Amino acid sequence: MGLNWKVLLGGLALTAPLVAVLASGFGNSPQGVSNNLGGRPAPVFQMEVLGSGERVDLASLRGRVTVLNFWATWCQPCKIEHPHLLRAASSYGPRGVAFYGVLYSDDPANAARFLEREGHAFPVLHDPAQRVAIDYGVTGVPETFVIDKAGTIVYKHAGPIDLGTLSAVLEPLL
Amino acid sequence: MISLLGRAVVLVALAACGVGTVTGVVAAVRRSDEALVFTQRMAYVFGLGMILAALLMEYALFARDFSVSYVAEVGSRSTPAWVTAVSLWSSLDGSILLWGAVLGACAIGLVETTRGRYPRHTAWSLAVLLGVGVFFSFLVAGVANPFSPVSPVPDDGPGPNPLLQNHILMVIHPPMLYLGYVGMTVPFAMGSAALLAGSLDAAWVRLLRRWMLLPWGFLTAGIVLGGWWSYEVLGWGGWWAWDPVENASFMPWLTATAFVHSAIVMERKEQLKGWTLSLVLASFLLTLLGTFMTRSGVFNSVHSFTQSPIGPVFLGFLAFATLFSVVLMAARVDALLPAADDGAGPSSREGAFVLNNALFTAFTFTVLVGTVYPLLNEALTDTQISVGAPYFDKLTAPIGAAIVFLMGVGPALPWGRSAPAESLRRLALPAGLGVATVAAGLAFGLRDPWPLATYGLCAFAFVVTVQQLVDPARARAAARGEPLGQALWRVAVQARRRYGGYVVHIGVLVIAVAHVTATAYQQKHAVTFTQGQAATVDGYTLTYLGSEWQEQPHRRSMVARFQVQSDGEELGVVEPRLNHYKSMGTPIGTPEVRTGLDEDLYLSLVNVDPVAGTASLEVLVQPLVWWLWFGGALMALGTVVAGWPSRARPAAPKGA
Repeated sequence: MGLNWKVLLGGLALTAPLVAVLASGFGNSPQGVSNNLGGRPAPVFQMEVLGSGERVDLASLRGRVTVLNFWATWCQPCKIEHPHLLRAASSYGPRGVAFYGVLYSDDPANAARFLEREGHAFPVLHDPAQRVAIDYGVTGVPETFVIDKAGTIVYKHAGPIDLGTLSAVLEPLL
Repeated sequence: MISLLGRAVVLVALAACGVGTVTGVVAAVRRSDEALVFTQRMAYVFGLGMILAALLMEYALFARDFSVSYVAEVGSRSTPAWVTAVSLWSSLDGSILLWGAVLGACAIGLVETTRGRYPRHTAWSLAVLLGVGVFFSFLVAGVANPFSPVSPVPDDGPGPNPLLQNHILMVIHPPMLYLGYVGMTVPFAMGSAALLAGSLDAAWVRLLRRWMLLPWGFLTAGIVLGGWWSYEVLGWGGWWAWDPVENASFMPWLTATAFVHSAIVMERKEQLKGWTLSLVLASFLLTLLGTFMTRSGVFNSVHSFTQSPIGPVFLGFLAFATLFSVVLMAARVDALLPAADDGAGPSSREGAFVLNNALFTAFTFTVLVGTVYPLLNEALTDTQISVGAPYFDKLTAPIGAAIVFLMGVGPALPWGRSAPAESLRRLALPAGLGVATVAAGLAFGLRDPWPLATYGLCAFAFVVTVQQLVDPARARAAARGEPLGQALWRVAVQARRRYGGYVVHIGVLVIAVAHVTATAYQQKHAVTFTQGQAATVDGYTLTYLGSEWQEQPHRRSMVARFQVQSDGEELGVVEPRLNHYKSMGTPIGTPEVRTGLDEDLYLSLVNVDPVAGTASLEVLVQPLVWWLWFGGALMALGTVVAGWPSRARPAAPKGA
């Protein structure tokens, strides 16, 4: 009786990658930087500010360094980075950097409660159906984009960002 | 002394299962009755040894014998007796001891339930089970030895993890899951044995199915109790968050559920043999994956209390067991000759079961992908992201709805043939009532599609299920002139497995309705009170009376007192609190829950500012939450009814 090669190869194709992924999880550090969108022009958007209903157009931000942070209340790493963003906004906001949060796949009412509880320092934009997130190639939250004065994405950060990383990116742009 | 004794007992158990694995293989290959009897004895030695080891550790915990490393790690002179007793599973090394003891009990149970029947299958299954036992007892004896001697002996210990001390559910939730996880080893051993022996018949599947119902029932109970614990303790007002560890317990539950259904087809028609067995193997592998997720520290989760060196060892075992399963399946699946396809169409009962299995498999993959994706992303791009609840909710809701629909259609379909006209006639009344439910919902002003769809589908499936329960009893009552109640009892006793199954179905429907309603119609408010101030939220009037610090040996709690009124009726004073543990930085809240049959009032303290004299509360009003736990209890009841050992079943012929 021989091996059933279909079952063998199918089974291995299904399970081997899983084991490999699990093995790769050991000793990984959560901080990581990926720059694959760097240098491209930032996709344009028009989004509504939560709470006020005012609309924000990326074109009107030309000439200002802009930080765009995709987040959600159900996302644990977002809670970790939130205080860092608040501090970054309070020190770089006065120096001309525009900070915007973009709510990702979440209920605006949840976001309002979250901000009330955890602190609120910059406008959060509503992205129904994640259209802008798709334009920016967001694969999960949190992800943070830094757009320079000319409207080019100069930096993309996936995962919780911290003040030090953000400062290092923003300082040379000002 | 206990250190030495415990170590010795574990080593004896390790030796016994090592020897038993070899003699089990010999017994199966040479068809030697002597070797089989010897293997059964080894299984007993292993089982009793592992149980004794756990009992010795319990003794050491109660005797406050701090010379034993595990007692020094989690014991304390100040803990009450119940905390001392459950300390056995409060930390990694001890919980592995508990796993070992449960596996030992399983080994003895397998010996007893297979005694005198199918010697080759029995020998193979004992060999596989004891092989798994080698790994577990090796962990206890070596990598995670809880019996290491400590010198110098400390006077006192720190006590177990504080999170585990704050609710009674924490006493039962983890061992339920362990029983579910470890118990899955027996079906795995029996399924592997069928493949190794190259034959699978209805009687072996019947026994296998009973052995699967046991861990399945414990997993069900563990999952529901875990949700309840999360709701009562964690303070965010939810019971399910698609957390990696929750998913880890849910995935084997899904595959085991698929098995319980496909086994019915297998038993009746001798079809789907390879598929049914692959579900058995997958369920076991997924429990290993779940254990690994909980214990390795690779996943970011509220459950990952520990990071430990057993992670890599466990992954090695998982990889080995996976390879074993795949190769075994590939090598032997063709030996299981299926019965000829009798051409039962897609609208037959068999067709419904196949579709059921496809849906449960799709569900499992959806959960698996969502759980592992963040890790995959981290491996490929070195970044950490969160997939989160929206992904799971969006993808699993349609699958869940389809499963509920099938739960209604399946039981009404005939075996072995398509009979659309007859089936349609049988379904007319339930379908009509389902539509009527949706219409009633619309009339009452409900507009959200998911709740409406859920109510309609659940009403449909509920009516079919009740018909399945009552119709045979009505027929009997009419034929014999018995009262309906008595006829129902008689019929149910005769067809316990089917009736138990339908009770489980009703439990699932109750949970589906409660879950969707509570999630869709919950009201959340964040309210900040100054002392003496009252606020009305969803018909409840809350008055902030004041707050104070309460000191306890292991924690300091900020307790805020609120008076609750509803429609002018006094509901008393509640005290949500924020606990500050010595060993933890961030405070952990204890919410205050007022449970009702119609809705729960859930108060979670967010912040107390003693300077300004304010307290911030998160107030949740959620309908039907109680019915989640009731549905869980129904599922447990149905499982017991279906799986309870029957008195005398005629023994299968030897050598079958």
